[in-house]
Formats: sequence, C-alpha cells, structure tokens
Amino acid sequence: MKPSQFQHHAPERVDEVVALLAEYGDDAKVLAGGQSLIPIMALRMATYPHLVDIARVPDLSKISATPNAVRVGAMVRQSHAERDAAVATVPLLAKALPHIGHFQIRNRGTVGGSIAHADPASELPAVALALDARIEATGPGGVRFIDASEFFLSTWQTALDDGEILSAVEFPVWGAGSGFGVEEIARRKGDFALVGALAGVTLDGDRVTRACITMIGVGSTPVRCHEAEAALIAGGANADLNEIGRIAAAPLTPTHDVHASAAYRKHVSPAIVRRALTAALKEARS
Amino acid sequence: MNDRTRVRLTVNGHAEQVEVEPRAILADVLRDNLGLTGTHLACEHGVCGACTVLIDGEAARSCLVFAVQAEGASITTVEGIAPDGGLSPVQEAMRDCHGLQCGFCTPGIVVSMTAYLNTHPNPSDADLKEAMSGNLCRCTGYQGILAAARQAADRMNASS
Amino acid sequence: MSSPVAARFVGSAVHRKEDRRLLTGHGQYVADASAPRMVHAAFLRSEHAKARLNSVNIEAALSAPGVVAVYLWSDFHEKFGEAWHAMLGQELVVPPPLAIMDVRYVGDPIALVIAESRALAEDACGLIEVDYEAEQATVDYATAAADGNVVHAAWGLPSNVMVDMPFTPMSPDLDETFNSVQHVVETTIIQNRYLCVPMETRGVLASWVPGLEELDLIVSTQSVHETRNFFARYLGLDEGAVRVSARDVGGGFGQKMFVFREECAVVLATKLLGRPVKWIEDRLENLTSAGHSRNELGKVRMAISADGIIEAITVDHVADVGAYTPCPAVMDPTLLPGPYRIPRLGFSTQMVWTNTMGKAAYRGPWMFETTAREMAIDIAARQIGMDPAELRRRNLLSLAELPFTSPGGKVFQEITPLETLEQALGMLGYEEFRKEQAEAREQGRWLGVGICVYVEPTSMEQATLGTEGATIRIDSNGKVVAYLSTSSHGQSVETTMAQIIADDLGVAYDDVTVVQGDTQSTPYGPGTGGSRTAVIAGGAAHDAAVAVRDKVLAIAAHMMEAAPEDLQIAEGVIAVRGTPDRSLTMKEVATQAYTNAHTLPGDVGSGLEATIRFKPTRFPTWSNATHVCVVEIDPDTFIPRILRYIVSEDCGKMINPQVVEGQIFGGVVQGLGGVLYEDFRYDPDGNPQTTTFLDYLLPTTGETPLIEIGHIESVSTTNPGGFKGMGEGGAIGAHAAVANAVGDALAHLGVNVTSTPLGPEDIFQLVQASQKERA
Repeated sequence: MKPSQFQHHAPERVDEVVALLAEYGDDAKVLAGGQSLIPIMALRMATYPHLVDIARVPDLSKISATPNAVRVGAMVRQSHAERDAAVATVPLLAKALPHIGHFQIRNRGTVGGSIAHADPASELPAVALALDARIEATGPGGVRFIDASEFFLSTWQTALDDGEILSAVEFPVWGAGSGFGVEEIARRKGDFALVGALAGVTLDGDRVTRACITMIGVGSTPVRCHEAEAALIAGGANADLNEIGRIAAAPLTPTHDVHASAAYRKHVSPAIVRRALTAALKEARS
Repeated sequence: MNDRTRVRLTVNGHAEQVEVEPRAILADVLRDNLGLTGTHLACEHGVCGACTVLIDGEAARSCLVFAVQAEGASITTVEGIAPDGGLSPVQEAMRDCHGLQCGFCTPGIVVSMTAYLNTHPNPSDADLKEAMSGNLCRCTGYQGILAAARQAADRMNASS
Repeated sequence: MSSPVAARFVGSAVHRKEDRRLLTGHGQYVADASAPRMVHAAFLRSEHAKARLNSVNIEAALSAPGVVAVYLWSDFHEKFGEAWHAMLGQELVVPPPLAIMDVRYVGDPIALVIAESRALAEDACGLIEVDYEAEQATVDYATAAADGNVVHAAWGLPSNVMVDMPFTPMSPDLDETFNSVQHVVETTIIQNRYLCVPMETRGVLASWVPGLEELDLIVSTQSVHETRNFFARYLGLDEGAVRVSARDVGGGFGQKMFVFREECAVVLATKLLGRPVKWIEDRLENLTSAGHSRNELGKVRMAISADGIIEAITVDHVADVGAYTPCPAVMDPTLLPGPYRIPRLGFSTQMVWTNTMGKAAYRGPWMFETTAREMAIDIAARQIGMDPAELRRRNLLSLAELPFTSPGGKVFQEITPLETLEQALGMLGYEEFRKEQAEAREQGRWLGVGICVYVEPTSMEQATLGTEGATIRIDSNGKVVAYLSTSSHGQSVETTMAQIIADDLGVAYDDVTVVQGDTQSTPYGPGTGGSRTAVIAGGAAHDAAVAVRDKVLAIAAHMMEAAPEDLQIAEGVIAVRGTPDRSLTMKEVATQAYTNAHTLPGDVGSGLEATIRFKPTRFPTWSNATHVCVVEIDPDTFIPRILRYIVSEDCGKMINPQVVEGQIFGGVVQGLGGVLYEDFRYDPDGNPQTTTFLDYLLPTTGETPLIEIGHIESVSTTNPGGFKGMGEGGAIGAHAAVANAVGDALAHLGVNVTSTPLGPEDIFQLVQASQKERA
C-alpha cells in the first residue's frame, strides 16, 4: 500500500502556489495536512503527478480576529486551532474540532484542508455552513470570497475554480446570549459521523433571535436545515425540540453505506437535532 | 520524475540526512533508511496508530506524513522515548499492567500515551479512554493499556 | 520425599521477559529483517469473484523501473511438490500459488511482481493487463449447496458441497423425546463473518542459497516447525535444509497456523531468482485475502420438559468455507450440548464453497456450538417463560457430579460450569439487575443482560497436536537456557515457561532464557494454537527441568559427598538440608559437569542438559467459563453500549494470573467486536465491502468496557502443573453473551435476536420489523 510517484513542490508564497497550480493544472493537487489525501493516495484511489505542499507558506498558517469574525488560515492545524484563544470566540468551531478523528490526526490535519476536502460527514464544512462563514479563495485573478452556502457542491466537490486554493476561512462571531451544540453518532470513537447535527442559537429571554442547524452524514454535502431554524425562531426557546428535529429531518434524502442505511439516517436525525439544540439552548441560557 | 529529494531530520536527537523519493512516507524512511524498525506499519492508511511518532513533540501517524513534509523537523520514535536504555514511566507502566502481548501495536501506544500525558497531567479515566482510542490493539482488550495510562499519569504527576 | 525446590514464580505476575525489547522498539518482526540483495514482492489480485482469465499481459510490467521478475502460474507449474500439513492431512492441499486459468474470489493472486522496492512492485502491478471473462459468483452460503452455479466447476466438482454429513441422531430416542416433551423450541442462529485481524499482517523473507541448496525463511507464523516441514515436502528437501525462524510475531489468532499460497509463491520466487524475496502483506490484502472466519448458521431444536429440563438438542449446521480454505475449522457438533446435562443430541453438518475468501482457523474455531446453543437457550427461556439464568442453572453440570459423558461422547472432568455461573451472577448482582432493568424500562431505557456458559476443549490430541518438546540446559555459568518447541505470537510463553522452569530448578526467574521459534535450535512442535502451551509445553518444560535438576543433584551430591535426596536447591544454591553451610552454586556444579566431567563417576554422567517430549495423560484438558454482559441500547439511535462485562473462569492452576487475565481480556474484546462492530461483508456479486480499517471496525478503547474477572481453580490432572488451556475461551464466550444481552434489551419490544452482527443499523432493522409486525 504505497502511493504512486509524484513530484513534490514546496513554495513559500501564496502566489507561487497559485503559479504552480496554473502550471500543472489537473496534474496538481494541494497538499495541506495530508490526513485525508495521503490515505487516498496510499490506497491508490487517486494519483497526482504533482503535489503542491502549502505547509511552508507562512501566511497560510495565521489566525487573526476582528470583532465580528475570526479568520483561520488554510494551513492552521486543527490541534492548534483547538488551543487558540481567538478560535474560542467561535464556540461552534471550538466544539466541533475535538470530534475530528483522534488527537494524532488533528496534530497534522488542517482547518482549510478539511473544508476544501468537503467530506459530507466531516465537521468543519458543517461549521462553515452553519455559521455562514466566508471562504477565501486565492487564484490567478487574486482573492475572492465564496459564501459557505455556495461552496459545497457534492461529495469532495467545491466551488473552487481550477487553479484556486482555499487560502482562509472567515468564521463570524456570534454575540452575547448565544449557545452552541455539536451532537454526532459514529460507529466508534473518532469515526466519521453516521449522522451529526451542529446547532447554534441566540436568545433574548425566551425569544430565539438567531438559529442555525446543520446536519452531516445525511447527504452529499452538509445540509443546512432552514425550515427547522425558522420553526425554532417562531417557536422560541421552549419549542418542542422533537418537532423541530422532525422538521429538520423531513426534507433529508440521505445516502447509504456499509455502516448505515438511508432509512436509519433519516430515522435518527430528529433525535440528533434535538440533542444538539438542547445543548445549544442550555449554553445560551447559562 | 523519480528524482530523490534530500531531507534533513533530527531523529531521537541525532541529525540525519536521507535521499528519498517524494512518495516515501516518514515511517518507511525511519525503518528502511535509518534502521529504526521500532516504528511499525499495520495499516498504512492512518487508522491503527502503530506508526505513531512525535513530530516536533506532537504525536502523528508517520504513515500519513511524507518524509519530504518533515524536512527540518525533530522526530522522536519509540526508540527515543527512553534514551538512557532504561524504561520511561509509560513503558514501565505498560510492563507493570500487562499492556502488551504480541507487541506490534505497542510502539504506537507508547508514543501516543507519552505525548498525551506530557500535555495532560491530570487526566480522568474518561480522558484516557478517549486519548487512547486512536491506537488499535488486537491482543489486550485495552484493559492493561488503560491501566498503564492511569498508572503512568499518576506516577508522572506524583514525581513532578 | 519432599520436593527439593519450593515454588516461587508459578502463580505470580512476574514482569514479562518479552516486554523490554517490545516496549523500546527492539522487537524483531519479519518486516524488520533484511538480507543482502533482497528484493520485494507484490501480488496482483483478482478484482472479480469469479472469472476466466482470457489473458494476462505482463509486458509493460516487466519493463517497468526496478522490476526484477513477474511470475505467473506457468512459471511455477511443476516447480513444487507436495503441499499439505501434517495436522490437516494429505487430502487438504494448499491451493496453487497463483491462479491457473480462472479466479474464484476477489483477492485470488494472479501474478507475483518482484522489484527493488515494494512501491515499484506495486507500480508494476498496475501495468499488468488482465482480460477477465466475468461469471456469476456464488456468494450466499445458505443457498450455495443447492446452487447449480459451482465454485469449483473448473475442477469438475458437481456441487458446492465440500462436506455433507446427513442428520445423525446420537441418541436412539431422539424423535420420541421431541414428540413427548412439553416444549419444543426451534430457532435458526446465524453468526456473521469476522476475522482474526492480527495487527501484524502476514509476511515472509525467503532466501534460497544456491550454493548451499538451503532455504531460509523468516516468517510471521504460529508454527515454525510445521512451516519447515511443509516447505521441505514442497521443494523436496531434507528438513535439515530448511530453516524457519520467527522471533517476534505480531498476533495470529489462528490465521497464521498454516502455510498460505502466497508464502508458497514467494518461496518459489526466491528459488527461481536465487535472491532473497520479502513479502509484507498490506492491510487491504490481509482483510480480503488472509483467511476469513465464523460465518456459520444452524437450525437449533431443543426439547424442554415442563420444569425446564433440556431433554434433547439438535442442530442442522451450515458453514461457509469460501473458495479455498486454509483450514476448514468449523463447529464441532458433538460439543453442542456444552457443559449441560443434556442427554440427547443429533446433528447434521454441511460445509459449502462460495466465491469468497476461504475459511481460516480463528480463536476457538469450533465455537459456533457455543453461539448456537447459548443464543438458542435465551430464545427458549423467553418462549417457555423462564428466566435464562434459571434455565441454565437447572441444566448445568457441577464439579461434584463429574465425570460426565455427554451424548457427543465427551468425558468432562475437573470443570465447574454451575460454579462459574453462580460466581458471575453474584459478581453482577443478577437479581438487583433485573429490578434495575424493570425500572429502566419504565423510563424508556433499554437495558439487557446476556449470559454465555461454555466448556473449552484445550490441549487436544488431533494429529500433531498432542505433544511438545523441551531441551533445557544449564550452561557453564550456571544459567539456564530452555529451547522450546513453541511458536509464541503474543502469549507470553517466554515468561510463563521461565516461571515453571525457574521453580523446578530452584533458580531465579531472571536466570532463565527461553529460546523458541527457530527450527535450527528447538525441538519439533506443531505450533502455538489450540490453547495447549501451558498444558503440553508446560509439561515438557517441567519434565525437562526435573531431569536437569536430577543431574544437578547427582553431581552436587557427589561433590559434597551427600545423598541426592538430602539436597535442596534455592536461589540457585544447592545445599544439604539442615546444613546450610554445606553448599554449592549452580556455576560450581556446572563447572564440575562440563569442565571436570572426566572426574565424575560413570553413573553420574556429564553435562547438565535434558530433552524431553511430553504428552498429557488424557485429551483434551477441559476448561470452562461463564460470561455475563450488560448492555444499554439508545432508543433514539439504536447504538448499543456495554455497561458491564463479567467473566468467571476456571483454567485450573494459573501460571501467571496477569497473563491469564490478559488472554481473557483480548478474547472478550474480539468476541464483542464480532457482534457490535466487526462484520466482513461482500455484495451479492462477491465484491468485498469492508476492505480497510475505516470499514472493518476493530473495537477501540472508546467502545471497550472494563472487564471484571472471577477465578475458580479446579486443578487439572492431565499434566504435572495442574494447568488448563484458556487462550480461546474469551473469544468463544463473548459472542453469545453480547448477542444475548442485546436480545434481552430488546425482548420487551417483541424482538427475537437470532443473528449477528448487531450494530445500530441491525438493531434498527430488528425494531422496525417488530413494530411493523405488531401494527
């Protein structure tokens, strides 16, 4: 189980990364932490003649904060984000990070790599989608921003153009009175979620002024549950969360794999949403 | 295309320089180029944890790192956990608690446990269960491993 | 006469001799070995479950960088001789090293590429063009017997049935009993396909030395001697011209008991090339191609009297042996009544071929008798309205009523089935649990308890298995070296055997070195498997140590002008009883024995060495245990979680309690893994679906409960130490205990659990089906 041969490029500036991607086109793949890419290559499910290793681009490993958002560079390791004070101001991100694999994986895996990889069962794409994060893409034409809601197209497919890299993600900071919950079920500790829900609420007394609910493992992308969010905002903090869960699950069309059927995923979804919301409301009230 | 790349590493405190294919994973380079066969490969796709080493002090699966990515890094393998030829507190605890049988997963267990306890001095039993869940063992049913983690944590704490 | 030595190490948890090297990264596994001019092997394997090979084009592969050779069947044809194992008999031939004209399972090896590195060999595999003509595969073993689509049609075989034993009543009044009892319970129990999965995959470094005409193998095996004997026959060599060694082996669990076709191919390659060839299997290969296990079903019938006495039990059994079976080890139906007082038995057995990976031995290969009986007992208890613990209690044998001859012809002695049941139930607090369970159900929580009681035949006699050998030598420094016939792959054999030997010789544990796993230095042994090391190798170690001790005493008696029976040995010092100042060190005796042997009288002999072979006084040596498991199932997600796991076991006298418990822990987690997490699956076309560790799920610390163990020691009389084997029991008992716990947790929903696996999806389907039925 050895990967195919490739040429390794280790640029030190973002423009060099972009230039290499332009030069090699489809033959090139960006290598960030490698925790998803390298197994795929070892199993020879994919071969890439050129890997553009972005670990030596200092600009991509920075975390910066403004009052309203935290910008996480693509190459920030997940474990470093877990310990970062600015990331702590985005509690949903901070809560989601420990759910990724195991600590040895998070020491290498990156925030940007996980989002660009766009696995529908992984946590960070769902965080981006739930919080309406902005994806910073850098390409030959410079920098542009893509709304998370526009970013995830299908399993392992994103709105990044050929020759573009995900250079950073901007996560909005929610205000006071907010709470967040991450709930997922997996076959084993550290496995990809069979089904997961990431939720956030902002309370003003019993009024829900803001809500987000995103599910993972239930489709080809993370799924934002807009109807359920609306129902929660309408119903307030004492709404019947089972009902909110049912509303969230109703439109889902999950896929099946060796671990769970589509019917199972759909059946358990309401409870997972309920649990995530219960945690979020509890935190918001405290 | 098949050009080899020069990679400089510090391994268990020694400066090393190897010429490797870019596709060479760190585990293979440690084993084949440097003769440090204590790092084992049991899945080569990042699940079992047998190949865990410290990269700049942090535990990582050395089957999920190309050696070229580790350029300039400081690597600690299981051979370097107790450099004086004795046993570290983790290794002693593993022996005391029968935390190993066939020994194949053991290097990864030792390295992961060492890394975790170095940064988490007061773990609960639940913390230890979670921390060790990234290393598969087929012999022990994990009972001795978790007991060893407890003992090592308590002793490292008592002596610090 | 009192013993000249006092036991000090047997019975205690000494530090393992193996641990220092393994903990510091200095173990010596096959992947760690290398040889000058060594080249690396990779197999091209079939992507089809069943296909004709129209053509295999290796041209591009041959000219790929670093490629040394590419072999097909035609290169190996007529290059080898007999391919059988003494334990399995001459009829069971290892399949050809590479596919001949067709492939019969996904993973069937088609070509062997030899290159300067494994990566280059894999590159070249990708350049081989195979023109397959795919055919419909036979995958479902339950229907394979009647399937006209024959796996081995190319061999001219008429059907998929390998073995067909029609229903055999072992008791004349079987039908009459079923016709007259109060309750007849009938249920079909299905056990899923799960695998050994040693953490070290298979591997071999094979070196043919042309000038010497010798074969040297370093191999990950459970049996160096059987591997040596096999390849001597395979290549037509004297056994002395084949050396097989294995210092450290990273687990086997049955999978590495016999020589594989891949190892044959690698040996043929080194012979053709005259260069050392190394093959280290990758995990993909290990999961798909290294021998599969379990995958058996049985229709169980039980006749039960009004007061809960099981009067008869029968099974109609079907086992999947895959396409080529390395070891067709399936259920032993004569063990079906287990440790129960069941007087009547009948059974049929069918072993069928399918286009899947073949069956290999796995920790308790016969264990479906336990799964079938114990799951059926729970079904029966519910059907007749009796608590499953009570139904077992009324029928289990206890120590006081032994010996007992079962209707399957098993003679049970020195076992404690009822005693372990009571101990395990007591450890749980069974009655209190039932109350807690009832209260939990009121709150919508699904709790369940499962019990499994079994008897484990250890140290069996089959073919080569009945004997082991030991050579023990006190060297010129007075230290002990023991050369044992064992092939340890994690069982702490260096430790436990050293404990026995140190006690028998009266020396320090640290002064005993154990050598094993090398055909050039150790006596013949069939390998480590069948839970036989403690009893049989332990017996050999004991007898050889006593023989050496007698030599020590004879020489020391001569030197001290005392009678041998007046001497005692402690801490390596030989002294006259009651006169401690008259003493000799072991080194002084050794010097006399080796360096000044000419001064010894003729009847005293010279040297301090003995070789003894041992066989127990009868076969098998029975051990037994009861497992009790408590699970909780989340009603929202159907995820089962084990809350408590209890084992009460009786393996006789324990050499090392920590090693005993370690074996139980490991076995239990394999067994529970097979119910809750592990399931090797094929799609209907025979394509494997769980080929990586992301899909074939081994339990981790996150899923593993604390395991509580109680011991009962009824000493065995089959061997001098009073030991019993126990290496497989954990894996035997856990499967039914966990499945029954899940069944108990779901019983109030009207669900009958009769099959495994029982992951959340399976439990969801069971609950849904039950609700549909009720609606």
